[in-house]
Amino acid sequence: MTVRRKGPGKEITIPRPVIQAFSSIETWEHAVQHWKKLTIAGGGGLALAAGTAMLVPGLAGFAADHLDPPVRTDPSVDSTPDRAADIADLYAWHTDSSVILALTFAGPQATDRPATYDRDVLYTINLSNAAPRTTPDIPIRVRFAPGNVEGSYGVQIEGLPGVSGALTGAVETDILKDGVKAHAGLFDDPFFFDLQGFKDTAATGTLSFKSTRDFFAGQNLTGVVIEIPRNRIANGDNPVDVWATTARFGGQL
Amino acid sequence: MTCFNHRAMVRAARIAPVTMAAILLTACGGDGDGGDSPTMMPSPTPTATPTASPTPAGFDVSACLTQEVAPGVSVASLVVPDTLTLDLAAASGFPNGRRLPDQVIDVTLAVIFLDLGVHSATTLAGVPVNPPGNDVQYRPVFPYLAAAQGSPPLATGGASTFDFRSDASSAYVRVDRMGMPAVATALIGSDQKTAYNDADPADDANGDFVPELTEQLTGLTNALADDLVGLGLTPCAKPAG
Repeated sequence: MTVRRKGPGKEITIPRPVIQAFSSIETWEHAVQHWKKLTIAGGGGLALAAGTAMLVPGLAGFAADHLDPPVRTDPSVDSTPDRAADIADLYAWHTDSSVILALTFAGPQATDRPATYDRDVLYTINLSNAAPRTTPDIPIRVRFAPGNVEGSYGVQIEGLPGVSGALTGAVETDILKDGVKAHAGLFDDPFFFDLQGFKDTAATGTLSFKSTRDFFAGQNLTGVVIEIPRNRIANGDNPVDVWATTARFGGQL
Repeated sequence: MTCFNHRAMVRAARIAPVTMAAILLTACGGDGDGGDSPTMMPSPTPTATPTASPTPAGFDVSACLTQEVAPGVSVASLVVPDTLTLDLAAASGFPNGRRLPDQVIDVTLAVIFLDLGVHSATTLAGVPVNPPGNDVQYRPVFPYLAAAQGSPPLATGGASTFDFRSDASSAYVRVDRMGMPAVATALIGSDQKTAYNDADPADDANGDFVPELTEQLTGLTNALADDLVGLGLTPCAKPAG
């Protein structure tokens, strides 16, 4: 078979045996039940001490998603970076009773800086709980806006399953409607990673990870957390796929 | 070495992308998306693309993509399409979704570079290579994220109405997208990042970025493999035949 990539000059051939190699894939459910049995390999014979350097050349901007794409969000590349629309991280997890979604953006930043509530940015957390897994069956749309008191801001969350209309309220407080809870505001950046090591590598060709160096420590960002009753997301045994997008009203900066 | 030189090297040393792409594409085609027909067609003759340059320290990363993080979950199937996937019937925790404290970078590095037949997916997280946790404690209850650090100015309360836009989604233009941590940033090269952020999971499943993911992982592996071996680790990649 031939796979044609969009655009010229890219054509590759797929050997049939490789295609057949995937014919025995088991179900996701079975797989994850196995995964949960895996445990951290504590002290398991690795000749690596904490803080040991590792070489991983070739990455300039390896992070969760902060400052990506660079030409739109990285001030070192873009003279009009869209901080507000720059996704930092997406989290999605479940408990016995809930599915929790957390989207962070506009960071990390110093702890003396205010939150970012941009009226012109649309944040969407997409959930797919039916085949195909790539269609947004539950698009949850989040907007911010100033309120009728100086310095106040509100958040509006549309598309929540089981919620009549939008869930709306002030930022920096828990808001609740029809069993769904949300909180938008300034938070500690929950991500942890040695970004400096990657930057050093990109610059020098010798990159070091240090487990004692967390670029995101002592920094804040803006985020929204949404907790939804699990039975409103579950659809039989279907997997639930989650992804987020940002978009700016009237076009990119 | 710079990112640019790295990419140039990758291009000069293209070895395994053909197989790699097949693996990724096949993996994502098995979930019922049915989106592959426009880009896949019969080809009577193989069209391998040898380059004039020799292959210095070339690696075949096929085994890295076909290896399973858990039975039935290959690395390829985790990165294409680029979404977090939750199995509500199983315990939560990356790569079954993503919780706040999950060591997603160390796990990701392990599954794309190490032989999971020798090492656990949590090998690097157990070392740890990167910081093993957040600098402050998360809240045990909603909203879970820790409060902002320092004394930043916060929004004023007391408002009763807010001036939200009511424009349709179509009035907004895409800026960013994210699913799995680190996929867009680590395995998509600079010249593809904008297109990747403009795309959707359906495009991922269609195979649009499979050659790019393949090329990036191969290049990274070519640069890294000897270092992994030097640290007593067994890479999943094999020397290219």
